[in-house]
Amino acid sequence: MTEHTKSRFGKLLRLSAAVGSVSLTLAYAAEAGAWSLEEAAAPYKGTTIRTIGESLPPLEAMDKLKHKFEERTGITVVIEQYEHSEAVNKVMLDLNSKRGRYDFILQPHRELGRFVANGHLTPIERFMNDPKLRDPAFKPEEVLYQGLWKEISWYEGKAYGFPFTALTMYLWYRKDLLEDPKERAGFKAKYGYDMQVPATWDQYRDLAAWFTRPEKGFYGTAIQGKRHEALWYEWLNFLYSFGGDMMEAKSGSECGPIIVNSPEAVESLDYYKGLVKYSPSDTLNYFWDDVMVAMQQGKAFEMIMWNDATYAVEDPSQSTVSGKMGFDLIPQGKGGKVGQVEGWTYLIPAYAKNKEAAYLFIQWMMAFDQQLEQHMNGGASSRPDVYAAPDVQKITYSKASMDTNAVAIAKPTIPESPELTEILVLELSNVLAGKKTSQEGLDDAALAMNKLLGDCAPLKFPVK
Amino acid sequence: MNLSRWGSGILDRGVGPLFLVPALLLLVVLLVGPFLYMVGVSFTDLSFALPGHDGNFVGFENYRRLMREDPVFWQSFGTTLVFVSGVVSVEFGLGFALALLLFHHVQRRRFVLTLLLIPMMLAPVAVGLMWKLMLHGEFGMLTHYLRELGLLGPQTALLGNHDLVLPTVMLVDVWEWTPFVTLVFLAGLLSLPREPFEAAVMDGARPWQVFRDITVPLLRPIIALVLLLRGIDAFKEFDKVFILTGGGPGTATELISIYAWRVNFRNWDLGYGAVCAFMVYLVVLILCAVSYKAIYWTEGRAVK
Amino acid sequence: MVALATLVVVLVIALTPYLWLLMTSFKTRLDALADAPVWLFTPTLEHYPMVFLDKGYLPMVGNSLIVAGVSTALSLAIGVPAAYVFARHDFAGKEDLFFFFLTTRMAPPISVVVPMFLFFGYVGLIDTRTSVILAHSTFNLSLVVWMMRGFFADIPREIDEAAQMDGHTRAGMFLRVLLPLAAPGMAATAVLCFILSWNEFLYALILVAFESRTLTVGIPGLVTPHGTLWGQVAAVAVVATLPIIVFTFLVQRHLVRGLTFGAVKG
Repeated sequence: MTEHTKSRFGKLLRLSAAVGSVSLTLAYAAEAGAWSLEEAAAPYKGTTIRTIGESLPPLEAMDKLKHKFEERTGITVVIEQYEHSEAVNKVMLDLNSKRGRYDFILQPHRELGRFVANGHLTPIERFMNDPKLRDPAFKPEEVLYQGLWKEISWYEGKAYGFPFTALTMYLWYRKDLLEDPKERAGFKAKYGYDMQVPATWDQYRDLAAWFTRPEKGFYGTAIQGKRHEALWYEWLNFLYSFGGDMMEAKSGSECGPIIVNSPEAVESLDYYKGLVKYSPSDTLNYFWDDVMVAMQQGKAFEMIMWNDATYAVEDPSQSTVSGKMGFDLIPQGKGGKVGQVEGWTYLIPAYAKNKEAAYLFIQWMMAFDQQLEQHMNGGASSRPDVYAAPDVQKITYSKASMDTNAVAIAKPTIPESPELTEILVLELSNVLAGKKTSQEGLDDAALAMNKLLGDCAPLKFPVK
Repeated sequence: MNLSRWGSGILDRGVGPLFLVPALLLLVVLLVGPFLYMVGVSFTDLSFALPGHDGNFVGFENYRRLMREDPVFWQSFGTTLVFVSGVVSVEFGLGFALALLLFHHVQRRRFVLTLLLIPMMLAPVAVGLMWKLMLHGEFGMLTHYLRELGLLGPQTALLGNHDLVLPTVMLVDVWEWTPFVTLVFLAGLLSLPREPFEAAVMDGARPWQVFRDITVPLLRPIIALVLLLRGIDAFKEFDKVFILTGGGPGTATELISIYAWRVNFRNWDLGYGAVCAFMVYLVVLILCAVSYKAIYWTEGRAVK
Repeated sequence: MVALATLVVVLVIALTPYLWLLMTSFKTRLDALADAPVWLFTPTLEHYPMVFLDKGYLPMVGNSLIVAGVSTALSLAIGVPAAYVFARHDFAGKEDLFFFFLTTRMAPPISVVVPMFLFFGYVGLIDTRTSVILAHSTFNLSLVVWMMRGFFADIPREIDEAAQMDGHTRAGMFLRVLLPLAAPGMAATAVLCFILSWNEFLYALILVAFESRTLTVGIPGLVTPHGTLWGQVAAVAVVATLPIIVFTFLVQRHLVRGLTFGAVKG
């Protein structure tokens, strides 16, 4: 545990002293005998709270856990599970009609800005400062990855919730093929160096090229080239790693000079596009779902994929390659060790009817036992102590997951950020489809971003 | 007694309005109202995403933006025109040919015809998914056989290729709607009077001449009807393409309704989205007005 | 001979995708995603109970039935009398009004669904089945008016006169004489309305709440980041389409008429 946490401090993320915090938490728990969940929940007995999120294993895990909370408190929890964009749309419609259907919501953090700016949320401090509600044993300031918490659930210096999942992406590869002596010999003869877990993007490409055998239906990689958010998320890994970014801003809630058309960004997109030829034929119509299938069906050698999806490639009931996989940080470019993070966060709408009961549930879910349980079932906890648990350490991808958590880079969460995503998805898709060069596509994206954001985001790299 | 007769007299005279009002009320409240609201919104900056955009009046700003500053909209408009003209002409040609063939030769039509109805009766969402399954680049059934036949390269997939994807979604539409054209023409052919044909045969006209000089002119109203009904529906196309490609790769299959969806439900730029949606409605209304006349020609009634 | 061969080819093209879907719903994941298409396989029945019982898709069948059923009934109740007026009465602006009905049928959902959402939110109907039922009634209503006008027009006027001689009021004549005569047409119209509502996607997607989702709206929920569950998708799609196919056979005689808004009599 300590080894991993010591391994690397991220650009923005500062790990809390996890070990220390665990002992602190225990001390608090001992002295806080006065507070109990049952007592705190007593006034809300019989109420029903409702939430909405993306139908993914962490949410399914929550669905399976909630009965414990219901039995202790007499509060009923209803969970609506939707597909990603529908989960976002339903919440937008609910918040804007101010009807308060949901007592708390689970949303990707790129949505934060527009929620806050429109006054749709209740800051979480209100409940944390309420001694009747606050479990003294719960110390988010100590038990969470502070960087992840700030990135995922804070906006302009205020906390609006806690991370539901800290989703990052890292390298997936076929360990069995990498260790295959015949492949190793052939690879060395061709490229002049030993086959290894790719540490640089050149190595990553060599491996992709080497393993691409369309006649056998096997490909070096698979990229998520569909016109869909997945494309943007995936490319961000390359962008960051090549030393680029979308904007020069210190935090997600700030606007800054646009650098999405920097030479580094163009280089990263050229490189990314170069991977299309090592991918399955309809890689330009793939999103996370399809690349997942490609890997599960043993049709691809390596890819950059999500931490919360990893359990499904290691699950023998769905995957033909479980046990044959290796996981690591993505290869490094000029940007050094980096990772892309998208968190889903607990939030309490301003119009919610049972805010207090919702807070009690969220707080209960953030406790170690629930976090561990959820994490073991495909979640991505934001508590370092969860990663320290022996069961979690045994998971094949825990190390890759933790390492990426530590180097994850913030992304914009300003009100316009979902629209920025749309702009980039469109231009990235144009470039991959061969309609524009990388320079043209990113220049157009920069112009569109500038038009949307106005003066706060000047172009750093002028468009010719 | 007298009173009740008087009452029923009122009721009697009132039957017209009484019977019409509920229908009109429903439409006005549920459709005209929202539509007018949308037109109103199109003059505002209403946005669910951006703070301060609470529906302030901005005049024709959104319309100006559409005309001057939004190449993507016009691109999708162009894509839609290609889609509409492509599918309508292919469906028309194929469907008409098939109708002629079936009309002259096939005996027990009913059962066969009903089977033909199946593609267009399925939910468009299901149609989209069905074809996604068939066209998948790795395990798609159709992809596999096209590759076996050498019609498709191993590194090409119909839905992942920028140049092939639009023709592909158009073919799916052709698959779905050609039977409709066939059935309408069959019904039309069956309703034609026999005399002109008998007379022509007596005069020794060749089949092609009969077709050109008698069949086509008699069917003209139906031809117009088919073109316009299909044109309107193709112009509104959303579900299938949305499921199949989401508008990509790039903007290759971004039809106007998908673009309008994006502006409204992705960017939540409702003021501008209203303008885009209004444009879709406008084109449909124009097509509607034309098809209305066509329908009346068929009925043999004059428009008063 | 040529015609017969063409017909066979056309039928194969028209039906194969559906057959493939049907087969996929009985295939294991391995068979469904195999490199070469698998035509012969040991069928599995796991997908149907999985998706309808474990995943809770069964209530969606009920929702679809309720939404389609009630919106059909509502459209008929309101639309049939209106159609009768169009068929038998003359008044100024009648044809323009009739045209207005057509335009409502043609309204692209994308252009009215947002204000509709806000409206239903305002009157407190959002998230209820009622909102979708009403939304579907908008396009079904005009279909009813258009189709039923034709069916009423097919009834000879002499019947009206005879009924009036028998002392029926106009309302009575409509209810007791004309409606029974138009019943077959009404049945066909009803089925067509049912199908359109059952298949509808966008209104239902935006207006409906979690508990009242219809089948078409539920299908995309099976496309997950962890691999589309093709077997389950196919199972839902099959269930969502079977009643439609049955209905299609029931009303095939009147479908052409319905699909061309009464302009062409099938």
